[in-house]
Amino acid sequence: MKYGCFVILLFQIIKSCINIFFSLKELFYLSYLILPISTVTILNYYLISANFKLKTEGGVRKYYKSFYLSLENILIFLRRKTEVNFCKKISVIVLTVLLAVTVASGAAFAQEKVIKIGTLFPLTGSVALAGTRCKAAVEAAVEVINNAHPEIQVPLAGQEGILDGYKIVLVHADHQGKADIAKAEAERLFNQEKVYSIIGCYNSACTAPASLVAEREGKIFMCGCSSSAALTERGLEYFFRMAPTDQTESLEFCEVMEWMNEAKGANVQTIGIIYENTEFGKHAADEGKAAAAAAGFEVVADVPFSPGATNMNSEVQTLKAKNPDVVFGACLGGDYTLWVRTMKQMDWLPKMCLNYCTGYQDPVITQQLGDDANYFMGGTGYAPEFAELMPAVAAVEKIYEDMVDVPFDSDSIQEAVAVLILAQAIEKAGTLDYDAVRDTLYANEWDSPLSMGGKVAFVPGGQNSKAMSMITQLQGGEYKRVYPVDLATDEVVFPMIPWNER
Amino acid sequence: MFFQIAIDGLLTGMVYALVASGLSLIWGVMDVLNFAHGEFLMLGMYVSYWLGFLMNLDPLISWIASGVFCFLLGVLTYKLIIQHTLSGPSLSALLATFGLSMMLKNIALNRFSPNFRILTGTLLDGKRIFLGNIVLPLPQLITSIFALVVVFIIYYIIKRTRLGWAIQATAMDKSAAELMGINTEKIFLLVFGLGGLCVGIAGGLLPSYLAVHPEVGGLFSLIAFVCVAMGGFGSIPGALLAALLIGLVEALSGFYIAPVFKYVAVFGLYLLIVMVRPKGLFGW
Amino acid sequence: MIKEDRKKQDLFWYVLVAILILIPFIPRVAANSFTQHVFILILLYASMSQAWNIIGGYCGQVSFGHSVFFGIGAYGAGMAIVKYGIVPWPGIVIGSLIATVVAVAISYPCFKLKGHYFAIATFAIVEIFNRLFMVWYWLNGALGLDYPMLKVGWKNFVWYKTKIPYYYGALILFVIIFGIVRFIERNRFGYYLKAVREDQETAEAVGINSAFIKLAAMALSAFLASFCGAFFVQYNFRVEPPMVMSLHVSMLFVLVTILGGVGTFFGPLLGAMILIPLQEYTRVYWGGLGSGVDLILFGFLIILIMVRQPKGIMGLINEFQNYRNRKRRRIISTEAEIN
Repeated sequence: MKYGCFVILLFQIIKSCINIFFSLKELFYLSYLILPISTVTILNYYLISANFKLKTEGGVRKYYKSFYLSLENILIFLRRKTEVNFCKKISVIVLTVLLAVTVASGAAFAQEKVIKIGTLFPLTGSVALAGTRCKAAVEAAVEVINNAHPEIQVPLAGQEGILDGYKIVLVHADHQGKADIAKAEAERLFNQEKVYSIIGCYNSACTAPASLVAEREGKIFMCGCSSSAALTERGLEYFFRMAPTDQTESLEFCEVMEWMNEAKGANVQTIGIIYENTEFGKHAADEGKAAAAAAGFEVVADVPFSPGATNMNSEVQTLKAKNPDVVFGACLGGDYTLWVRTMKQMDWLPKMCLNYCTGYQDPVITQQLGDDANYFMGGTGYAPEFAELMPAVAAVEKIYEDMVDVPFDSDSIQEAVAVLILAQAIEKAGTLDYDAVRDTLYANEWDSPLSMGGKVAFVPGGQNSKAMSMITQLQGGEYKRVYPVDLATDEVVFPMIPWNER
Repeated sequence: MFFQIAIDGLLTGMVYALVASGLSLIWGVMDVLNFAHGEFLMLGMYVSYWLGFLMNLDPLISWIASGVFCFLLGVLTYKLIIQHTLSGPSLSALLATFGLSMMLKNIALNRFSPNFRILTGTLLDGKRIFLGNIVLPLPQLITSIFALVVVFIIYYIIKRTRLGWAIQATAMDKSAAELMGINTEKIFLLVFGLGGLCVGIAGGLLPSYLAVHPEVGGLFSLIAFVCVAMGGFGSIPGALLAALLIGLVEALSGFYIAPVFKYVAVFGLYLLIVMVRPKGLFGW
Repeated sequence: MIKEDRKKQDLFWYVLVAILILIPFIPRVAANSFTQHVFILILLYASMSQAWNIIGGYCGQVSFGHSVFFGIGAYGAGMAIVKYGIVPWPGIVIGSLIATVVAVAISYPCFKLKGHYFAIATFAIVEIFNRLFMVWYWLNGALGLDYPMLKVGWKNFVWYKTKIPYYYGALILFVIIFGIVRFIERNRFGYYLKAVREDQETAEAVGINSAFIKLAAMALSAFLASFCGAFFVQYNFRVEPPMVMSLHVSMLFVLVTILGGVGTFFGPLLGAMILIPLQEYTRVYWGGLGSGVDLILFGFLIILIMVRQPKGIMGLINEFQNYRNRKRRRIISTEAEIN
């Protein structure tokens, strides 16, 4: 028993230390006294200080609370400090076991009028970048809903909270890009954290099992940007997805090719597809092939590769050897930069390159690739250059940029849309009853200044039928709209400018 | 076309060789499987990247800093972790380094954010040499030359210096080496440091053409494991040859069979070779 | 002396099983589905690691390839339900048989290799299988197999609202696998295994067919592992190669066993009891902060345990027992002196 007390104390101390070091930015400098990992780390802090801004009120309060709790414990402990002397070895083991079996007791929120919403994104692992951005987008949207922002032209921004003062509180969870963890975390969020609904999961492979959990519980699952078309073909009742699917994008790509052939006399006939061999890439490629077959184009090169590649020489060589007119690309993040640079190195380019929701849309990658990124094309749901089409975004984007230092991209903005639509539906239904909210979601067409086209409406299965994306081309580091023609601002540069002429 | 692909493969292979030679040293001498090797590489890349980003140092210079950094990292790892686990079964060091790899990876994720970072405007950026219709990318070429030089220096140290003889003696029989007056503790420390140094140098040079992110080390370390085992444990020339072979097979099978199968071919090659030579190419 | 020890172990084992049967009736556990989830995972990983322990611990052949067998078992159940729309049981049986055959086929040549060469060979096999399954059209490749909504019950081995049946399913798996290992440990076969582990040449010199023993151990190990895989997919309603057939999954089995104590009967259970809750609860507490704080801590705690106790938890317990025995002996000897 007496050891147990000490162990619980230790546990508390560790927990609060970590909470302090990792989340309260005003105490951040303390960590340098205790964790001098390297000078590089310190330099980096000034560069990236936005990592741990916990914006939600409840979060900060929670950490303060546990901090005070552990202070109390220290005082109790100091009064009877006689019990320090015992086997260290055992303490380590016992500590870990205890850490293991202590049951999470959920955060105690003082507020009563609160709607808890869970977010479930890959905050670690190979797609952590996208996950952290999606999480920040949700936080930005919640900030808009919870507080009065009369200057923002978004529904619910002008008032505080929804349903006469209900505030949204977020509970974040991390699925690490693994489907089994996504399922377990979704169950935990619903059963233990008692969240009202979950926003997630970025990876389609994780959205599938997590949304099944929600369906079984009869609770609403809002999906922002998972792009697998199969998700909304399962006939789920409580599942809603904002973003256009791979299928829509593939069809659009083929449309662009036909348009190029007719209007510009481009004479593009053959397609090569390069994609990462994961659930996402495979789906995109399958849809791409189907669309190409329907439109009468020939797929001459089908190049899947393992993500996280050390080099992409043979992939690009294969493309170069088959020399398709158009390449459909589905390469995420680091693989995208490697792909572009390898093409440059091999001195090869197709006439036209169309990208799915991938590294192409990432503003940071585009900026870093510099001139090399130019003249690539892709489907884009949002880019800062669309300001005149979507004037309301800028104000929300400012909140978001405070957190992650980059503008919205097509993926993360859809997650913000998901929260806003859910909040609007709750407000309109006037109740938190799931069936009522679901029926309201289906019955209405929603104003959504954050999505392209400004409207969101759902068809059975949960797909947003108004979802659309535009074909853009990077010119001079900016996303220029080139298709559809009525919204286009710039002429498409065709064929792509060869590397040695840039 | 064939020669172009083969040369690309060999250039990739050189980098593998540099990563693998560090691992081979640690493994051959101490019989410890360092799972955090890929993370050492990743941290080395970050050191080089930040030096380039903040101080405009070219990777051609900052590899020294990454090398030193990873040397210290290796020494620290040995002192704080490996030393204590050597009293248990050899697998417990594996578990500890697995924990270390997880920790380092996520510290990088935590501190540096998961952004993909590219160093632009370096001295070698995008430069190429044309030999007939074969393209030689300069960053890769310089990196491989460095790799070759470093591997040869390590080989020379092992084979021709007193220190190297001490390392070899420790690898063969620890207790006998101790009886001969070799401070095996120090040798272990040094070997871990040298292993870190090799991988640090590789990491210092890679940012000139590879994006840096916390997960970058994964596949490299996997291939390095295979390199080391294919070449024979503790054999630096073996690791070099195996790495070149792997680079070649990877590139050729990627082109002539299918890109998805390139690692299948690499791992298949390993299985094939150890079926014929159960101790690897140069193992004893 | 040995008999006495065994009796004690027997008693401990029966008490343990009885406790495990009663766990879902503890009100706190019964009300909390996440705690149930953790218990299920503990039992699953304990069983899986025990299956690994047969070849890796008792026989001393460190294999990183067990996720292949785990994955084949998982795909057996998944294919039966998703592609053929029948109950999972025939798929599980066929899957486990295939896993056994694959295990024998790949380990027969690989057993020529010793030590780390064998370990890396199994490494390579996982990667090869992973990439082949990723492109295998019949198995849906990288898309994975997603379960449709099924009728709840033991027939389909699927439940949606409750986790208690899963718990008992995992418990049955646990009792079967641990029972088999207990039987082997006291049987001639177990001693053969240990003999091969300690010194293969000597073992052969006294007339043990070491190649056969190793193959048999591998086959049994793979057979049992595939059942765990099938359970895993029934529990998660989805199967895809990175989830069941990757190096990370393999490592987890090895880690659990090392942590508990390699080649010991209770080692895998102890290891799972520590590692799994550690993994789950660090994620619960700190995962939401993002940026990998939970995994930093998880890694740090693993290092801490390994540095403090490189022989695993069983090593600590053995130390404690030795200490107690010495103490007892001292008491006996002093008593004798007095008399």
